[in-house]
Amino acid sequence: MKQTPQELLVTQRMQPGVITLSGFLGIDQRPLNEIIADDAQTLLRLDITAPEIAERMQYLTDQSQQAYEGGIIIDGSYEVETEITRGKLPCPFLHRGLQRKTVTTCTHLTTGITIRWTALNIHMIKEHGFFEGKGSPFRLEPGTLIKVLFPDAAHRS
Amino acid sequence: MFVSIIQDIGITSLVSGGLALILVIAQRYLNDYGDCKIDINGKRLITLKGGSSLLNALSENQIFIPSACGGKGSCGTCKCQVLEGGGPLLPTEKPLLTTKEMTGNVRLACQIKVKSDVRIHIPESIFNIRRFQGVVSKIEDYTYDIKGVIITLTEPETIDFKAGQYVQLETPIYAKVRQKVGRAYSISSDPGNDRQIQLIIRYVPEGICTTWVHQYLNEGDQISFTGPYGDFFIRDTSADMIFVAGGSGKAPIKSILEYLSRVGTTRRMRYLFGARTCKDLYLTGEMHAFEQVFDDFEYIPVLSKPCPEENWQGRIGYVMPVFPELITDPANTEAYLCGSPAMIESVKKALIELGVPKDRIYYDSFG
Ligand SMILES: Cc1cc2nc3c(=O)[nH]c(=O)nc-3n(C[C@H](O)[C@H](O)[C@H](O)COP(=O)(O)OP(=O)(O)OC[C@H]3O[C@@H](n4cnc5c(N)ncnc54)[C@H](O)[C@@H]3O)c2cc1C
Ligand code: FES
Ligand SMILES: [Zn+2]
Repeated sequence: MKQTPQELLVTQRMQPGVITLSGFLGIDQRPLNEIIADDAQTLLRLDITAPEIAERMQYLTDQSQQAYEGGIIIDGSYEVETEITRGKLPCPFLHRGLQRKTVTTCTHLTTGITIRWTALNIHMIKEHGFFEGKGSPFRLEPGTLIKVLFPDAAHRS
Repeated sequence: MFVSIIQDIGITSLVSGGLALILVIAQRYLNDYGDCKIDINGKRLITLKGGSSLLNALSENQIFIPSACGGKGSCGTCKCQVLEGGGPLLPTEKPLLTTKEMTGNVRLACQIKVKSDVRIHIPESIFNIRRFQGVVSKIEDYTYDIKGVIITLTEPETIDFKAGQYVQLETPIYAKVRQKVGRAYSISSDPGNDRQIQLIIRYVPEGICTTWVHQYLNEGDQISFTGPYGDFFIRDTSADMIFVAGGSGKAPIKSILEYLSRVGTTRRMRYLFGARTCKDLYLTGEMHAFEQVFDDFEYIPVLSKPCPEENWQGRIGYVMPVFPELITDPANTEAYLCGSPAMIESVKKALIELGVPKDRIYYDSFG
């Protein structure tokens, strides 16, 4: 797929050291639109949309922030903790608003699977269907995310 | 045949040379904005050659608008009001401005090119901001993820700041980081020592600046920062004071206490420091030592999850339940908070419920 000038600009902002230390693409050599399209295929197969995933991540993040410090058990199924650092970061897709510097660690108590995400992850999934490139420190495999966040839906795969 | 080729090459070179010359002249003509004036707050007038960004034009004239991304249009900290001469709003600005800011002529100083006379408005405190060079004279490990860094100033050699203010540390180009970025850090030392500043920096995994400080910065290294910024400083009243901090939030409170111990105060002060385990506590002896300096001061560390093997004898839980015991006259209490936005929210709510006036709760509002 040919990249638009806008995509090239966004790809440039996703390089290491521009917005975040390691960037957003990891070792992924594919063009941005291909990375997004491949993950969209996985979501289609599992019959879940990116905004639905983001909403679930946001719910768990918000709940965990009710705890002044440390992790909390949510809905009897998850242990979740969110660490917040003062300051904000922009979205690499030239997009309005800044995101808080957060890291949420979520363990699904039944399977024991732990995943972690940031406020920027939630925003990028919701608004851009972007789960980051392979090998990026905050790459979220849609399959794993769904297994943790929607255990019932994961059986459909 | 040969002559004709040479002639062709000659003509082609002449044409392309001519075109290049026209382009250079056109570029020079098009980019020559002549002398432009920047009127700042109707108080200061700068004259400069047009063509550079407003942010750079101002910093070349020793006016430092906060900037955290090196002018790349990605942090949104360089906002200022441009009343005239800013030109149309650019696509790179829109993502970082609210609708209210757009209608209020707020612009990103790093994105606007000075091409004509410009009239801007900036907060008065920005006139006091300078760029400083210094040398790292000491790095100490306070906890497994917090370091204290002392910087001795070299150019200029002194700094004038209020206890509680912060500086913007410039992260250089290092490892994978290809551009300079700036990050805010509260000064943790006494303003009475104007030749050095101390910062307390907590490591953030995958963080640009903190990875540099924790893994690359050494004693003796050169360092640059701008400042001072912020209005998180103590108010000159006789009200009781409660300080609440967590993690690296100890930095500005330490500066305030050192300042007060030098100038003297009889105000009633209580300081709650929230941490998880004993491993997250630091400078505990130094904070307790203030109990001998002030007439009415107490330092109370509170651990939310002390490990059994730590044999912690102090308070356990969150800081909020301790408030009713410590705050004896809520209406006459000022609160100074420093920590994560989540901590500030919970603490603020509890203080208001107790009767501490909302407008007497102070914190850096950059969540
Ligand atoms: C007024 C003020 C005063 C402050 N004072 C202090 C102080 O005294 N001491 C102190 O330690 N701090 C202080 N801070 C915080 C400090 O400014 C920095 O924000 C903090 O140190 C982190 O900076 P960093 O460059 O290391 O991290 P950054 O690089 O800016 O951000 C790291 C964050 O980016 C996100 N991220 C990274 N990679 C990815 C990815 N691939 N995908 C998605 N998300 C990603 C994560 O959320 C991660 O936590 C202060 C902040 C403010 C506003
Ligand atoms: S300096 Fe970062 S947006 Fe202008
Ligand atoms: Zn976005």
